[in-house]
Amino acid sequence: METNNQQQQQQGAQAQSGPYPVAGAGGSAGAGAGAPPPFQHLLQQQQQQLQMFWSYQRQEIEHVNDFKNHQLPLARIKKIMKADEDVRMISAEAPILFAKACELFILELTIRSWLHAEENKRRTLQKNDIAAAITRTDIFDFLVDIVPRDEIKDDAALVGATASGVPYYYPPIGQPAGMMIGRPAVDPATGVYVQPPSQAWQSVWQSAAEDASYGTGGAGAQRSLDGQS
Amino acid sequence: MADSDNDSGGAHNAGKGSEMSPREQDRFLPIANVSRIMKKALPANAKISKDAKETVQECVSEFISFITGEASDKCQREKRKTINGDDLLWAMTTLGFEDYVEPLKGYLQRFREMEGEKTVAARDKDAPPPTNATNSAYESPSYAAAPGGIMMHQGHVYGSAGFHQVAGGAIKGGPVYPGPGSNAGRPR
Repeated sequence: METNNQQQQQQGAQAQSGPYPVAGAGGSAGAGAGAPPPFQHLLQQQQQQLQMFWSYQRQEIEHVNDFKNHQLPLARIKKIMKADEDVRMISAEAPILFAKACELFILELTIRSWLHAEENKRRTLQKNDIAAAITRTDIFDFLVDIVPRDEIKDDAALVGATASGVPYYYPPIGQPAGMMIGRPAVDPATGVYVQPPSQAWQSVWQSAAEDASYGTGGAGAQRSLDGQS
Repeated sequence: MADSDNDSGGAHNAGKGSEMSPREQDRFLPIANVSRIMKKALPANAKISKDAKETVQECVSEFISFITGEASDKCQREKRKTINGDDLLWAMTTLGFEDYVEPLKGYLQRFREMEGEKTVAARDKDAPPPTNATNSAYESPSYAAAPGGIMMHQGHVYGSAGFHQVAGGAIKGGPVYPGPGSNAGRPR
């Protein structure tokens, strides 16, 4: 965990000067300081979001009664498992367990990737966001070969360019409120972030957790899709 | 069965106009399923580029192979032939995915309880093979709660069976999993 935090610190130290103009101004001064406040806030935010994610998963899984509907096809999972010649026999429960494990994996990887997209003020998740998440997360070390060095290099170059003092682009004042999601507001008096960048994400999770019929609808959609194929 | 899986996969992908060859596409989970799960982790106004979806597809296959490889090594050391759920959970813990194990344990436990219900129903009809005896021993906790539980379970099993028939027909993979797959999964 310490190593993980240190790595995140290093990565964060690079990334922070990019998306936040105020931090950028402070970045040149704070470069020597090491861990300026804005980055600490980001770290806490990420940890909070991941804690929310795991808490939500525990609740959701407790309500699972139907093992026939899966987000992922069991036959394909089994085929991927059997690609390893050493794997001989697989119990019936293994692909079912993997279907759920892979869902958790995709969710965690996507959340961590999205944090990077937000830091760069984008609303489209890109390959280099996933590369950044893989680089920053210890348990994803086994994925390092999947993302080319170029992606990581581009990311570093992008951060470097921003850190060199190129001014950050300010969105037009007339921009709709919806477009402001992910744009942090800093209270000039205290320097504390007034609006969390991931507010929309949190609302998505809350509505998903609260609305039982949403899940039912999803299951229905899943069935119809399966029926079509 | 392998041919059937392959054809099904190929047809599935062809229907969605995938650029990958059917054979290569079999190495990944369907991009539509992966994409749907990714969207659950993002705000409503977020978009996902295609190369991001494809990268996550590759990552998931790598995750499955990574965990499976570790579980397989453990089975070989212990001279066992079949990888089961506990082996996967152990492998995840060993490889740093402790956070996944807690929710998955509950998930697996509930699945086994349902399987246990099926086993009880099956036993009422046929004499159980030795393997079932092993399973029965493994699932003794839920069986111990028998009397009232059996009544509820009987009804539940019936309903589950009915649903399973429908699901099996729809998915097409259903018949493969509980029948041959189930047999293949358990040594005889």
